[in-house]
Amino acid sequence: MNTNQMHEEIKEANLSYMLLARQMIQEDQAAAIFRLGISKEMADLIAGLSPAQLLKMAASNMLLCRFRFDEKLLLNMITDYNKDRMMSQAHTTILMTGRPMEVLAA
Amino acid sequence: MRNKSVITEAYQIQVAVKLIELGARLQLLQEETSLSRERLLKLYKEVRGVSPSKGMLPYSTDWFMSWSPNIHSSLFMDIHQFLVAHAELSGVEALVKAYCLYLEQINVSGDEAVLSITRAWFLVRFFDAKMLQLTGCTECTGHFVVHADELYANYICGICRPPSRAGKTNKNGRRSVSLNTSPAI
Repeated sequence: MNTNQMHEEIKEANLSYMLLARQMIQEDQAAAIFRLGISKEMADLIAGLSPAQLLKMAASNMLLCRFRFDEKLLLNMITDYNKDRMMSQAHTTILMTGRPMEVLAA
Repeated sequence: MRNKSVITEAYQIQVAVKLIELGARLQLLQEETSLSRERLLKLYKEVRGVSPSKGMLPYSTDWFMSWSPNIHSSLFMDIHQFLVAHAELSGVEALVKAYCLYLEQINVSGDEAVLSITRAWFLVRFFDAKMLQLTGCTECTGHFVVHADELYANYICGICRPPSRAGKTNKNGRRSVSLNTSPAI
């Protein structure tokens, strides 16, 4: 994959991420905050973006979303847990709720 | 309590219908909405088609301590606290939203919902009354429901260290037997 191709892929990922996030927030704000792991302030901001702003944002060469599991334990859990381990899905959610969320810096 | 505003009443009915659909008992509806008992009874029959079940509500903090209920209630409570802290929800809205998200999480993993909405409501009230609290597991750092004001210096949760017979209920056993025998037929 050359650099140009990669930039195209990043833009595409950005656009679908932003569209999905905005749709989730507009449909059900509280659930979207829970699923995206963002603050209410951020949710309000994303929901208020105009289509032009959204496109401009998505056209960036940098990826707009990032990994939420920045911890070895959580990473292991998502990648290595199999069916034998009981309640792994619930366990992941329990741990995710305890993670710090993305907030806007003052 | 008498409702003066029609809009408020319409909202209350919406909340009540949602709660009934989720399986709430009549006592919960009476506490969380300002509708009269007669109206709630009528509403209940209309939504479910049957009269609400009578009798006492399950009132015990010990139920939340056994293995499977503890994990389910911890999951619900973690979601509930997250919503209260970050999504600015409160009261019955937080209860309904957290319970819906809990059901969704459980459905994804294909388990059955162990926690009913009435129990979930009690759980929130037990937390308000400071009879139960969340404590961190020393292995996975997740937060789990425990009795308040006991010593939890080296607490390890039921998922990191499941008891030997965890999850092997009578029902699960029977299901696996029927799965084994079905190809032979």
